[in-house]
Amino acid sequence: MNPVSRFLVELQDITLLFWRMLRGFRKQPRYFDEMVRQMDSIGVGSLAIVSLTGFFTGGVLILQAYPTLEYYGAQSSAGQSVAITLIRELGPVLCALMVAGRVGSAISAELGSMVVSQQIDAMRALGTSPARKLVTPRIVALIVTLPLLTVAADIFGLFGGGVVAYYLYGLDSNSYITSLRMGITIEDILGGIVKPIVFGFIIGLISCHKGLTTQGGTVGVGRSTTDAVVLSSITVIIADFFLSKVLQGFFWEYAFLGRILDVRNRNSCGRAGNDLNGNTGDRVSERRSCFR
Amino acid sequence: MLGGSGSGKSTLIKLILGLLRPDAGTILVDGEDITLCDEQELTEIRKKIGMVFQEGALFDSLSVYDNVAYRLTEEGIDEDEIEHEVIRMLRFVDLEDAIDKMPIELSGGMRRRVGIARALVGSPSIVLFDEPTAGLDPPTARTICELAIKLRDLEGVSSIFVTHEMNNLKYLTSEYAIVDSEGEVFFEEEGDKLCLINTKVMMIKQGDIIFDGTDEELKLSSDPYIHRFIRGR
Ligand SMILES: Nc1ncnc2c1ncn2[C@@H]1O[C@H](COP(=O)(O)OP(=O)(O)OP(=O)(O)O)[C@@H](O)[C@H]1O
Ligand SMILES: [Mg+2]
Repeated sequence: MNPVSRFLVELQDITLLFWRMLRGFRKQPRYFDEMVRQMDSIGVGSLAIVSLTGFFTGGVLILQAYPTLEYYGAQSSAGQSVAITLIRELGPVLCALMVAGRVGSAISAELGSMVVSQQIDAMRALGTSPARKLVTPRIVALIVTLPLLTVAADIFGLFGGGVVAYYLYGLDSNSYITSLRMGITIEDILGGIVKPIVFGFIIGLISCHKGLTTQGGTVGVGRSTTDAVVLSSITVIIADFFLSKVLQGFFWEYAFLGRILDVRNRNSCGRAGNDLNGNTGDRVSERRSCFR
Repeated sequence: MLGGSGSGKSTLIKLILGLLRPDAGTILVDGEDITLCDEQELTEIRKKIGMVFQEGALFDSLSVYDNVAYRLTEEGIDEDEIEHEVIRMLRFVDLEDAIDKMPIELSGGMRRRVGIARALVGSPSIVLFDEPTAGLDPPTARTICELAIKLRDLEGVSSIFVTHEMNNLKYLTSEYAIVDSEGEVFFEEEGDKLCLINTKVMMIKQGDIIFDGTDEELKLSSDPYIHRFIRGR
């Protein structure tokens, strides 16, 4: 088969799997227990690595950005710079990549072994649909937990940034927090939640598909695990670009006015960074009111 | 169903269950052509079919109890009822003690027996046995044949029984089960009084059906392949 038709066949299989998964919601049994179990192993189980990733990413952002900011005399927008990068981009993407590595591989290895040892056949023979029993709970668990994990990563990242700013560069924690609050906007937060929902869906669907289409024994399980991680990571990164673009367009309509004022405010805040007393506080509330 | 290794017996069984799709032809299950069914309709049809896999195919992350209970749990039946039924089935295959073990802790034959218990739970009206006696000691193999005979004669279950062993063939084609007035089950040999006609033999060679008839006809067959198969030389 040439690459193009292989891609099309793969796309067809994934779409069909998606369709069967959707039907899984409509009919009994819905496997809520299984969903909760998966949320526990996927969500709670990934909390530690995701928090660590977030913490050190936030730390390194400040570590690299601070000297430059200092050069321009803009130390006080350190928090803002971490907040924007982390919440908009790095939080969701890094979190999704970590989860793709940890959970995507586990899912496709588990389903792949079940295919190879005929357990999927046995399941079908016993009158259960593997799509409904295995795929739906995993994808739902990913869609629910990935945004939560991302929020955890964001919080730890902001905290990590603060720790580095405070201990390494001696930045006052008050000014860090103030500038954080200035850096975070509603659309950042919404975008930061919408993205992981889509990423969770991508990781789940690709990993389940790769697992269920495993061929060729033990080696096949290894191959589909690799494929699942690589393919879902790449898709996450590609989807991130387009999602960012779409979200930008989407929020533009909502916050057209707000954003213009926002940009103006941000500029003035950056410049006003050196005299961080009282003034900025006003500006924060001013900016907030722009959004309402 | 008889046939040499690699002749396509397991493949045929999987086709009947809809696990594989045929390129051509029709497969009727209770008069319904399953080659026209989609996966969801197949799932409904499979609910009345029990299948014993050649390799066992137990769920290795579930205990023996959960494996046997699988079908009933899926149907959302009462926990007490499930437990009762599972213990009954496990007693049947003589594995009551292994109820809390994991499949990995069992021997090959024990796994096969758990597979049988799992297939029979919930009283399916059709049972497909893919070499259920391979690798079992003669008494246990005999028990499994008796089980198939009982299902056939007392419970009206249709089954396909794949086997290599001539012993099994003899049991299945020449004995029948009856219940006496006290409810005890007996096995009797066919003879002058009664000739068993509810069991047919089919032989497969290289994916083709080369024989289809009663056991008496099989013995009289002049085909050298069949002759060798029966005699073992
Ligand atoms: N998944 C598969 N893909 C391709 N060919 C297969 C597959 N499974 C089985 N075959 C081939 O189909 C033929 C029939 O296999 P099958 O498993 O049905 O044999 P069998 O009669 O059950 O043998 P045995 O008595 O050893 O179990 C064999 O030649 C085998 O190589
Ligand atoms: Mg076979």
